[in-house]
Amino acid sequence: MKVTIDGKKIEAKLGETILEAAVRAGVEIPNLCYIEAFGGQGVCRMCMVEVKDGEQKRLVASCTYPITGEIEVQTNTPELQEIRRNIITLLYRRAPNSDFMKKLYQEYVCPAVEVVDPAEKCIMCRLCVKACEKVGAFAISTIMRGTEKRVATPFDEASPSCIGCGACAEICPTGAITVKEENGKQEIWHKSFEMSRCEICGNYYSTLPVKEHVKEQLDNEVSGENLCPSCRRKKLAGDLAKFSIK
Amino acid sequence: MNQLKGNNPGRRTILVCCGTGCLANGSAAVYEALCDALKGNDKFEVETLAKATGCNGLCEKGPLVKILPDDITYCKVKAEDVPEIVEKTLQQGELVQRLLFRDPATKKYYKSHHETNFYKKQHKLALRNIGEIDPSSVQDYLDRDGYQALEKAVKRMSPAEVIEEVLKSGLRGRGGGGFPTGLKWKACAAVDNPPRYVICNGDEGDPGAFMDRSILEGDPHTVIEGMIICAYAISASKGFIYVRDEYDLAVKNLTKAIENARERGYLGKNILDSELSFDIELVRGGGAFVCGEETALINSIQGNVGEPWDKYVYPAEKGLWGQPTVINNVETWANIPVIINDGAAKFASIGTEGSKGTKVFSLVGKVVNTGLVEVPMGTTLREIIFDIGGGIQKGRQFKAVQTGGPSGGCIPESLLDLPVDFDTLTQAGSMMGSGGMIVMDDRTCMVEVARYYVNFLAEESCGKCVPCREGISFLLETLTRICEGKGKLEDLDLLESMSCTIQQAALCALGRTAPNPVLSTLKYFRDEYLEHINNHRCPAGICKELTEFYVDEKLCTGCGRCRRNCPADAITGEKKKAHTIDPEKCIKCGECIDNCKFQAVKVK
Repeated sequence: MKVTIDGKKIEAKLGETILEAAVRAGVEIPNLCYIEAFGGQGVCRMCMVEVKDGEQKRLVASCTYPITGEIEVQTNTPELQEIRRNIITLLYRRAPNSDFMKKLYQEYVCPAVEVVDPAEKCIMCRLCVKACEKVGAFAISTIMRGTEKRVATPFDEASPSCIGCGACAEICPTGAITVKEENGKQEIWHKSFEMSRCEICGNYYSTLPVKEHVKEQLDNEVSGENLCPSCRRKKLAGDLAKFSIK
Repeated sequence: MNQLKGNNPGRRTILVCCGTGCLANGSAAVYEALCDALKGNDKFEVETLAKATGCNGLCEKGPLVKILPDDITYCKVKAEDVPEIVEKTLQQGELVQRLLFRDPATKKYYKSHHETNFYKKQHKLALRNIGEIDPSSVQDYLDRDGYQALEKAVKRMSPAEVIEEVLKSGLRGRGGGGFPTGLKWKACAAVDNPPRYVICNGDEGDPGAFMDRSILEGDPHTVIEGMIICAYAISASKGFIYVRDEYDLAVKNLTKAIENARERGYLGKNILDSELSFDIELVRGGGAFVCGEETALINSIQGNVGEPWDKYVYPAEKGLWGQPTVINNVETWANIPVIINDGAAKFASIGTEGSKGTKVFSLVGKVVNTGLVEVPMGTTLREIIFDIGGGIQKGRQFKAVQTGGPSGGCIPESLLDLPVDFDTLTQAGSMMGSGGMIVMDDRTCMVEVARYYVNFLAEESCGKCVPCREGISFLLETLTRICEGKGKLEDLDLLESMSCTIQQAALCALGRTAPNPVLSTLKYFRDEYLEHINNHRCPAGICKELTEFYVDEKLCTGCGRCRRNCPADAITGEKKKAHTIDPEKCIKCGECIDNCKFQAVKVK
């Protein structure tokens, strides 16, 4: 069905979100908690847009609003700009130690506010929690509620479920999750992991539980399991080269 | 008389209010003393029976004891009063005058509570049985037409006719949203994707509100009957009642009521020999305010964290476990049997154009008669607060009334003649909510009130979306600063702008309504904010950093009441001579100003 986003007519699939349709059409809608593979969370509310459905106009989160009819969408009205500026102000106030937020705070020309904790970096976008779920570890989640809400392992202790994959830290937009790597050990979420060495170059590249976890997920059909990503790539390139000669 | 129905006229029934308020005041002991006194007593002319009932509403005067068919109401009864009641009233047919309700304004005594202003203007539909029946007795409920509506629906109406009747009644959701109940049912029934579920939302969490608690405790079968009727209308096979675990008595009475309903065949397979099979499970909530939001409640039933989701697709289409679900509030369910029994037309004849029927309010705060009241929609705030509620305590001035719970707005005196319904309250910047009504007098600082509610919401927000979690944190910090005298004029603009963002962008209704206390006080009581910021003064004398009390020498009679009540020994003065307050010693607790009968203590 046809929907209009900022005057641009695009073809949308029934049930897909406005944000999905917009991304496909190359229309940019600001967001802080959205990654295509995870779907919309409706958490940061930066992606609010104005939807006109018949005579009715309303503001919705484009990452969770499913398209079920021919609607008109505005993504950048003055009203929406004020909402986004306020959201950035609030998140900078929460996480002033993050360069990511500092930059946005300036970009959006936000008003002065007193920060809560000068050392804080986390904006609670929950991408880390989603990543952990996708990996299949389920080691971290949000805990508490209200203004006290934060991401943690159960009881802030080392979680038996954590495999030290570091997907959470990798995906974090503000660098709020610390991963320490030292002498063949990796420390994350109150837990220390033995690292595995690459058979070729000898570099540390993965924690042992990650290797176990990957094996389990792939029903033990793992090849080149003792190689770091770079050596594995080289080896694969070599193998393929042999093929092309024949 | 309706209230006598179900109680055998050849028998005398003594109803002891055992609602939570009366229980807290010792009504269990009164009930036991009465049972003991009646046991083996052969001096009565007729058979006499004592019953423990649910809440009568007038908690201020509890424990209440009602005697039928004589229609006598005794207030503030203690166990020690029982022998006198037995001897004088039950044996000799005389009244115990000192226990009768006495109007504080006219000093007149009333034999029956029905004659008092508190009850005269009420119209009980949802609360029709509460206080009249023993909630643990299914027979008591049956004696007052209980399960008649279910029988009528199942045996003489089609599911579509039931939905049509609820639609025609104009009933709107009593939990706060005000969505037409019939439309919800119709939408759910239209989704061709069984199984469908029925949920009762009993997660009442507003400070000072106890409407749902009272219904669940005092008349659990009416909720169950309402749910079964819905199950018939939408072809559901399973229902859930989500109730706060802190509501101990409600959990107990509901558990028993569900068991009794099963025994009598109102729940289970082939209800009343029909095709309908339906059962109800009780789910006990962990006490999160946000779980009153329907999608958070559904998450909680599913065993997930109680966080809401964007409701662009209604639960009627995709609710519990992704299935079509009707979720209604306790009070909404309690209205269903009335609508089916008496017909939609009768129900729709009560109320206003857009809001039909009645609404239960918990009237609390600085009002004389605190308690539970049920009035037709369209009753004015003035009638509720001054006629039913008896006005403001201690003869003080009315300042504002907050409706709709912590995220409701504060309505000023100029709007007291507003007829209360879903739409008028929203237009006034407040909301119906689930029916909390907190009355405030002139000793209330409106900035502090806004801060207080925002603080509650800061703890009770689920913390999922940014506008609610971070926005409320910002509002709280700013309001606290203003209350401490560190506010700036620019704060007000940013308060307004942030409030607007929270209203527009927050994920659920909790967030979207959270700025109401701030915006409504900024709208109606802006001068108080300005006093705090510009003159470093709290006109109500509440914010300690900004308050200094003094005694007006012209008004002070030297009675010494303030001096005796001052916990800091800050007040000195001789008898019959004007007193003085030492600002160095004063801890600004306000005891002096609250206790002065001559309004001689003032705020500088």
